[in-house]
Amino acid sequence: MSAIAARPRLWPVRLRSTPTVAAIATVVLVGYLLVGLIGPLLIAYDPVATSVADRLLPIGAVRADGTVALLGTDGAGRDMLGQLVYGARTSIIIGISVVAACLVVGLAFGTLAGYLAGWTDVAISRLIDILMAFPGILLAIVIAGLLERSMLVVVLALSVAGWVGFARLARGLTLSLRERPWVDAARLIGVPTPVMIIRHIIPFVIGPVTALATTEFAGAVLSEAGLSFLGLGLPSATVSWGQVIANGKDYLDTAWWISALPGLALTGLVVSTGLLGDHLTQRLGTSR
Amino acid sequence: MRLIRLRRAVALAAATVSIAGLVACSTTTGGSSAGGDVPQELAVAVWTPIENLDPHGASSMDNGTQVAAKAIFSPLVRTVGEGKFEGVLAESWQPDEDATEWTFTLRNNVKFSDGTPVTSADVVASFNRLLELKGAMAANFTGHEAKASGTNTVVITAKGPDPALLGKLITFYVTPAAHQNDGWTKPIGSGPFVVERFTPGQSLVLAPNPGYWGGKPALNRLELRSIGEMAAKMTALKTGEVDMTWAVPDDQLPGLKGNPDLVVEKDSGSGVITMWMNSSRKGLKEAAVRRALWQAVDFPTIIKSLFPETGSVADSVVSPNVLGYAPQTPVRYDPVAAKKALDDAGWDYDQTIQAQFSQPQFQQFADAVASDLAKIGVKVEPTQKEAAVFLQDLLALKWDLNIQQLGTAGFDAATNLGRLYTCAAKRTGYCHPDLDDLLAQAGSTSDTAKRQDLYAKANKIIWDDAVGMYPMFVRNLYVRNKSVQGLAITPGLTPDFSTVRIGTGGS
Repeated sequence: MSAIAARPRLWPVRLRSTPTVAAIATVVLVGYLLVGLIGPLLIAYDPVATSVADRLLPIGAVRADGTVALLGTDGAGRDMLGQLVYGARTSIIIGISVVAACLVVGLAFGTLAGYLAGWTDVAISRLIDILMAFPGILLAIVIAGLLERSMLVVVLALSVAGWVGFARLARGLTLSLRERPWVDAARLIGVPTPVMIIRHIIPFVIGPVTALATTEFAGAVLSEAGLSFLGLGLPSATVSWGQVIANGKDYLDTAWWISALPGLALTGLVVSTGLLGDHLTQRLGTSR
Repeated sequence: MRLIRLRRAVALAAATVSIAGLVACSTTTGGSSAGGDVPQELAVAVWTPIENLDPHGASSMDNGTQVAAKAIFSPLVRTVGEGKFEGVLAESWQPDEDATEWTFTLRNNVKFSDGTPVTSADVVASFNRLLELKGAMAANFTGHEAKASGTNTVVITAKGPDPALLGKLITFYVTPAAHQNDGWTKPIGSGPFVVERFTPGQSLVLAPNPGYWGGKPALNRLELRSIGEMAAKMTALKTGEVDMTWAVPDDQLPGLKGNPDLVVEKDSGSGVITMWMNSSRKGLKEAAVRRALWQAVDFPTIIKSLFPETGSVADSVVSPNVLGYAPQTPVRYDPVAAKKALDDAGWDYDQTIQAQFSQPQFQQFADAVASDLAKIGVKVEPTQKEAAVFLQDLLALKWDLNIQQLGTAGFDAATNLGRLYTCAAKRTGYCHPDLDDLLAQAGSTSDTAKRQDLYAKANKIIWDDAVGMYPMFVRNLYVRNKSVQGLAITPGLTPDFSTVRIGTGGS
């Protein structure tokens, strides 16, 4: 115990996930969520429509038709504000779908492995080991590169390795849960296995898994941006922050706002999700 | 414990020594360059990566391979402008009356870098290899045959008259007959430079060829590097990591203009942005439909906005410095008329046109075209493909709209119109018997005025039937450090480094 306390900190000041920080992070996240949900209803943006006469306008510049480009325009004259808002929606949809898919698969495999033990556990655990040995983003690049670009493919590519974390966590928790008195008692009165897992195991696993889900969400959003940056992500008709950042990389000198704004938006989303995740891990992650 | 400490100490000592060594090295080089004498070393960021040094194989027409080949090998002839040629390995040449049989007399004093003389046998062996490999260049020489008569005379015979042969030969490089089947990582040539080190796709380091017949080049070291990322390339140029590059996009100019060390120049260009519309696709069969699509795009605005420095509105299928150029009636931007024409032709507004391209510089261009067409309800999906996939799909006609920049080798329409627009070529999905006749006649006539006239007629058919959209003539930007001197800017995107030397920076 004392050895842990005496370990020097790598970073002198750590952004602690206090309740205040967590509250701020939640507010920011709700902001993103609102922008993603309501923004597209208020701001019209068509990714196909370009206006080359208004290209590379800086923040707040006036377009040829007299309207103001609040956050500037990109290399093809498309509105940056529109791209940010629609990109937020894309990121949130991808993040939630990936996490949902990973959570369902990971929870199922993890609890089964932990509860049934024996050969099921060996098989699932080795599968997890194999997937863990492979860099997740590399696997995603291979899958996304082989198939035609679409949102479903991106979700699939990011989920293939993403469920492993959930499965490991769920398995570990289940291993200790299955020895608990109430599980033993239920087993003695003959509760069937599926009901056992759903009624007596999962409710105790779901807390820590939810905490993990927030960090996985941030990871999924970041990976999607990475894939789109590499041109392997979403089709060009769907706005993605990663794509916008990639579009702006030739203009870092002259039109910094194209890459910088979606980069900042992405940072904000990922950092606040991470902070909230830290907080949830502290609250829910401790084993009971 | 002691052992570990000892190891650590040794490692530390080794690291210190190596760092000290590095510092020592850098001070020595710094010292010599400050001592008045400018090192004749040139680092160039090439436009497209050099993947292969084989000038006859599948990648023989790639810009990277062509640039490297120009430095390492020698062709028979080179072009010095529209329809004018100058001998390189060939001292003189003589076509027969109908230009079917061409006799080339080789220079006597030319040697390969391994010391063996260049003979007619080498030319014939190289020519046969080019034909056998059926690479990108072989289509220019279908039915041609090369024969040696004596050690320094080569006769190239075509199936029919081939007045444009010289234009086709400027990209044909001669390699030693004895080394045709060696690996192509350190090939032997008779060009101004010899290969020192080659890493495919990354860098090619060249040293001067002391026995070069045109005199040893001034440069002591020439490095051709591939820097994939445009931003990195521009930074390398600004920091002096590389001294020169070419085919710089318009958008990069503002970032370079403030730098007093850099000089920006423009070539005269021979490229045309060519957007074939696949006539073999159901919806694009009719010329009226293709013309309407062309009419629906506001090219003047797109060109002015995206390519203010390098682009100008085209009025012909080939550029003005090409034999066969003839100005055509400009296609006016008129979305209303275009929409009406499409309605009349029964256009299916539900179909999506796949617009394929491979080079990233076309992304915004393709987006802008798609945007204009969307305004009249035509759906276009711009698709960027990896170069190899793009080429494969292009040849298999697996596209609706294809965007590329087409040059005309040898400034002769024979290598462009004559090669690409015949029914037999199957490159555009378009087939017109009258055009075939015209191109066949033009290809087999040796009278230049008559050829110009025939190609002008062919030009008109292609333009009026809108085999593709021909929106823009392209010129290319060359950026060099002002210490780089003696670089002749020629159209064709393959700079010649044999005349370059490094000055003191006085420009």
